[in-house]
Amino acid sequence: MVRPLRANPHALTGAYAVDAIDDETERARFEHHVRRCQDCAAEIRGMAETATLLAFSAAQPAPPALRDRVLAAVSRTRQLPPLVEGQRQPEVRGATPKQLLVWRPRLAWLVAAASLIAVIALTVTLVQTDAQFDRARALQARIAAVLAAPDARAISQETSAGGTATVVYSRERHALVVTSAQLPPAPQGKVYELWLLGPPRVRPAGFLRPAHNGRSASVLVPGLVGGDQLGVTVEPAGGTPRPTTTPILVMPLRA
Amino acid sequence: MDPHDTRSAGSGPGLPEGKDRDLDGLLALVARGDEAAFANVYDRLSGPVYGLIRRVVRDPAQTEEVAQEVMLEVWRAATRFDPAKGSAATWVLTIAHRRAVDRVRSATAAAEREKRTAELVSAGDEVADAVEASLERERVRRCLAGLTELQRESITLAYYGGYSYREVAGLLGQTLGTIKTRIRDGLIRLRDCMGVTW
Repeated sequence: MVRPLRANPHALTGAYAVDAIDDETERARFEHHVRRCQDCAAEIRGMAETATLLAFSAAQPAPPALRDRVLAAVSRTRQLPPLVEGQRQPEVRGATPKQLLVWRPRLAWLVAAASLIAVIALTVTLVQTDAQFDRARALQARIAAVLAAPDARAISQETSAGGTATVVYSRERHALVVTSAQLPPAPQGKVYELWLLGPPRVRPAGFLRPAHNGRSASVLVPGLVGGDQLGVTVEPAGGTPRPTTTPILVMPLRA
Repeated sequence: MDPHDTRSAGSGPGLPEGKDRDLDGLLALVARGDEAAFANVYDRLSGPVYGLIRRVVRDPAQTEEVAQEVMLEVWRAATRFDPAKGSAATWVLTIAHRRAVDRVRSATAAAEREKRTAELVSAGDEVADAVEASLERERVRRCLAGLTELQRESITLAYYGGYSYREVAGLLGQTLGTIKTRIRDGLIRLRDCMGVTW
């Protein structure tokens, strides 16, 4: 394979150290380079320490309530097990190996999240009254919290009715966010109903309503528990308490 | 060399040595599940963490959310902090910066970003104005002032603004190559000016 002629990759150390490479491919390629370039790694470390001083110079007192919330959360949060020998990953810019491991799947969910975000923005601009706006904002915040959860994962899958559904889910937040693209409108008098298909039981989880280009507004589904799968069926308008047709989509949500 | 200068190799980002060693030690206690040590780490770093996220994210409610996630991540992942790879403060603030950037790059709609762009035009002045009694702050200010205008703007927009180097290039009407280079040589100049020893 012919390697494309590129600018000196070393020049990216600065942008990398301040998280200013937003192209995942470019960043992955650069990280690959850094693993073999000790000078780069050393330079990035010095820059990261320098950036820390910039952070210190921007210090502001945090709200006192934040301290209480964090300490309360800490007392009920289990810590990650330490990495044992043989598990260690090459790493750069002072990140823990765990962060790099988390970082890789981020590509997939960032792409998915980007499409969700466009939809969220749309939902918010469509609402009119203050009350609607407040509700939309609260919903947007809850959706953003799922997207930003440390354990958030994203998957896209085609439905048998056409188009794709994208899900971002977080076990920690016990919630998922669903949207669709190119999903054809439901047949006259029918809706797409969402289900959490769990070993405990099957629970109705709202409706997917394709609007522009088969895109639907993001639906937040709370109450996610281990072992749940997401299902979508076509049901009579208004929905049903239990699925009555063959699902057009069953999406496994691995832990 | 000034005998009162306590910086030495491995002491962290030019912070007084004792202070930083303390943080490394505290984090080791946190890794063993010591909640009191964590509260101590929180008290030392919540200001920079909160202030940095606030600079990037702007919205106070979202800043609190991100700061809470970051602090919880520090607790969870303290078991994996490796002092050979950098100082404890940098480990924490790297997480904070990345989370803040993730938040603005994912959750912020285009309109919101445009608003931030307008607000950011004065970000350079804010840095220059932030002359507080703090030694760190004074040193940072002095070193930022020693950069060329393009270096300073590039670094400020990228680090405090959470912009990618591509976006910085667009904002400043420069080529990608120029911005990459200015961020890099600006950071190197800052590093040397602030006496960072990593």
